[in-house]
Amino acid sequence: MSNIDRRTLVKGSLAAMMAGAAFSRAAFAQAAEPILLGVSGPLTGPNAQYGTQWKQGFDLALDEITAAGGINGRKLAYQFEDSQSDPRQSVAIAQKFVSDPRIVLELGDFSSPASMAASPIYQRGGLVQFGFTNSHPDFTKGGDFMWSTSVSQADEQPLLAAYAVKRLGLKKLAVLHLNTDWGRTSRDYFVKAAKEYGAEVAVTEGYIAEERDFRSTLVRVRDANPDGLILISYYSDGALIARQARQVGLKQMICAASSVYSPKFLELGGEAVEDVHLGTRYFPEDPRPEVKKFIAGFKAKYGGQEPDAFNAYAYDAMNMAAAVVKIGGTDRRAIRDAFAKVKDVSSVIFGRATFDVESRRVKGAMNAELVVRKGQFALWDGKPT
Amino acid sequence: MAGATAPAAFPYPSGDQRLSSWLDYTINGLIVGNVYALVAVGLALIFGVSRLINFAQGSIYLVGAYIGWVAVVQLHTPLPLTIIVVAAAAALVGLIIERFGLRPLQNSVRIAPLLATIGISFVLDQLVMLTFSPNPRALPSQLPDVRFQLGGGTIGPLDLLIAGVGITSALLLFVFLRYSKLGWAVRAASQDRDAAMQMGVDVNRVNQAVFGIAAALGGVSGMLVGMYYNQIDTAMSLQATLKGVVAEVVGGAGNVPGAVIGSLLLGLVESYGVAVFGTSYRNLFAFLLLVVVLVLRPNGLFASARQAPPEPLTGTFIAPSRPVRIPRWALAVAAAGFAVLPFFPVSFYVLQTLINAWLLGMLALSLTLVAGTVGQVSLGHAALLAIGAYTSALLSLTLAVPVGLAVIGGGLMSAALGTLLISPSFRLRGHYVSIATLAIGEIVSLVILNWESVTRGPIGISGIPPLSLFGHDLISPSSVYWFSLAVMVVLALLQGRLLTSHLGRSFRAIRDDDIAARAYGLSLNRYKSLAFIFGGFAAGVSGGIAAHLYSYINHETFNTQQSILALTVVILGGLGNVVGAILGSVALVGLPEVFRIAAEYRILIYGIVLLLLVRFRPQGLLGTI
Repeated sequence: MSNIDRRTLVKGSLAAMMAGAAFSRAAFAQAAEPILLGVSGPLTGPNAQYGTQWKQGFDLALDEITAAGGINGRKLAYQFEDSQSDPRQSVAIAQKFVSDPRIVLELGDFSSPASMAASPIYQRGGLVQFGFTNSHPDFTKGGDFMWSTSVSQADEQPLLAAYAVKRLGLKKLAVLHLNTDWGRTSRDYFVKAAKEYGAEVAVTEGYIAEERDFRSTLVRVRDANPDGLILISYYSDGALIARQARQVGLKQMICAASSVYSPKFLELGGEAVEDVHLGTRYFPEDPRPEVKKFIAGFKAKYGGQEPDAFNAYAYDAMNMAAAVVKIGGTDRRAIRDAFAKVKDVSSVIFGRATFDVESRRVKGAMNAELVVRKGQFALWDGKPT
Repeated sequence: MAGATAPAAFPYPSGDQRLSSWLDYTINGLIVGNVYALVAVGLALIFGVSRLINFAQGSIYLVGAYIGWVAVVQLHTPLPLTIIVVAAAAALVGLIIERFGLRPLQNSVRIAPLLATIGISFVLDQLVMLTFSPNPRALPSQLPDVRFQLGGGTIGPLDLLIAGVGITSALLLFVFLRYSKLGWAVRAASQDRDAAMQMGVDVNRVNQAVFGIAAALGGVSGMLVGMYYNQIDTAMSLQATLKGVVAEVVGGAGNVPGAVIGSLLLGLVESYGVAVFGTSYRNLFAFLLLVVVLVLRPNGLFASARQAPPEPLTGTFIAPSRPVRIPRWALAVAAAGFAVLPFFPVSFYVLQTLINAWLLGMLALSLTLVAGTVGQVSLGHAALLAIGAYTSALLSLTLAVPVGLAVIGGGLMSAALGTLLISPSFRLRGHYVSIATLAIGEIVSLVILNWESVTRGPIGISGIPPLSLFGHDLISPSSVYWFSLAVMVVLALLQGRLLTSHLGRSFRAIRDDDIAARAYGLSLNRYKSLAFIFGGFAAGVSGGIAAHLYSYINHETFNTQQSILALTVVILGGLGNVVGAILGSVALVGLPEVFRIAAEYRILIYGIVLLLLVRFRPQGLLGTI
């Protein structure tokens, strides 16, 4: 690096001196102040729904953390900045968080363009960017301050492929996927795994996120003569595809990625999503105590509403952040190092989450094989549909 | 399951399969075209009368869908009542838009109402999002769930109802416009507003009637489409507008029956596109159809030859105004002030926000030249950013070109490719340029998505090296700040020089009266190309810098919203006004940041501020040059 810039050095040391003075003065008041996390995510714009779901998950986790006495006696809180999932705004937010000494850790952003555009700033600024929905394989390659609990698609897709091919006995598959970095990566891992398990992938179709009409796509699918449809979709587009598949007369088995796991999928899909199979990380009757606590707490806090996958990611992420801050304190570098130290953090998605220090991701997501029965998600009983 | 009448999965012997598949593609194309028609008819009606592309039509559609949800899910109204409630409520929204959003702009620049509809759509979309949360909702159909066999698939009663509403409303409107007295007034007002007023036509009443009808139709269509997909969400508005505009222009802007046929054609082209090339090419065909139609028959497929040209021949689209003269010393002081800013204890956040403003400023310089000075109002300018960004990123990553040169390469590629792509639209005027460039912008983004061997498709390009100059990495926020400020100032100075030269005068001559300009011996295409080459370079450089700043780009990084934002900046600053473009960029990057404390409300506030600015300064902050 040849960016040795005297002015920056001078300014940096001045800032450090000023910060030092401020800290010693603030030390008395510190115990009362909450430990602050920065969140960069969409609250408006086309992805706003996911930001709202994050908030629900965060708030529930924070309630529990506070009830358990906070972090060493201090409260944990977050400052949510709306980025609209727009890289132009996420980079500004990144600078804002980096230069705000109260922020000890950053969570988000949602989409890859917004998250990864901000990564260089977090990396250089020495603030951990904890991207808990960032499945892009290159996200954590941005530097040693990038950590992610997003389920790696290299992990998830083989599980889905095993469900579809080995357990459900599908032999010839049609894969429909969101044509985003997530959908594309997932498709590639799925196809690879499905072929290894001995299935043929007859056709793959990528669609853009705004797409609503899938009838012509489904004619292509029909002509490929598959015995099963694989949906690498979110819940809203997944529900649309399932409905239209039934409308154009496709009766094949449908098997979907865990991202459709949401009460909205049932609401939007109606009868058409009956008998849809999906692999998920947890399920309503899951006997694991952390899942029971999460679902019961969520329903109590949000008027009986069932939590979905994005709620769970956010809930887990906040709990992970709390565990990390507990070890690392409020020093940003110590927090980065604490990510490598946390072990077996209770997690809805992973059961017990421990980071792989090499990839800075968590391996070994839980797996449950569900099916929609009578309008509800239920554990698959092994019976054919 | 879909219903008892659903067929066995593969009812065809393999020999017949090809033919029957084509039948199914045709049916599916007509079904979705049917859905597009509902929006297109409303757009055509408004365009027919006020020569305005109503970007708020999609938002009224959204409002209609949510009012429908309230009626069906909360109030349990029966279908006929639901339709009446939705139509009445949407019509009311339309009347309010007409009265308070558009009528005050009657005598201002032609482009002001266009910007106002964009502002109104921001406000309406945000209001719906704040009221109903952005989560998608189910809007159950109130019709009996029976399915009719058609080809390999089935259709339901909603398909028939949508077709019925689309065709009936188009026919009714056709008859109304042709045979009723108010209809005559509408047509008279659309042909010559002043003459109509002299003949005693109450033009305001006509406009009111038209907006009311179009909004009622828009609202009902949003509700029906919501029921059709059993899903409504706040993101449906922009998509509806885009597809509706395409369908309407293909059919002949302002031609109501043409809009229906244009919609069906659009549906068919998309469906056949999916059939031949696959799903991810679908919208590519929609927008290619639009460009082809615009180039071959600029007035749409169904415009009659004797129809008056839909755009004024001379430059009333962009009215000249008295620009605010800012003395040179003040500009120099401002530039110096911004240049020394990093020496003061300002936070990196402020610097980063200003970097964004400078990058947007370069794009706005580019757009203010082609839109303001030459009069080619482009709605696809983000494509130039994307071309510059991808070129620069790929040059530096795969060919190891030094970043400084790669950024210049991005600018050159953007200038060349952008001009080439946009050249088919040189023969178009006014709104048609905007629509053609909108389509070209979408096409570029879809090509980036699909041309995986070069652009890496949806995975995008990661690990783009940071900015560097002569072997020195520019990493600290202040160095990036200085770099982008310097590039923008140089481009602005060059553009200012250009505008005062004979070239600038020729550009404005083309904008203000292209026939006179031609008569004077100016080659329009050559001058338009020249403007796009210069503008393309500025935008490409901006995109290139952004790519190195972000280190990761994909097809979503430079989207339609960027194009709309750039146009907003340009209009806000004053068309053709170099200083105005920069001022507008600072304002429109800064305002949403300033409103951050308002959290979810910030885009709503931003929309309202935008509307107020259009209302009280339609010629822009610094005026058109």
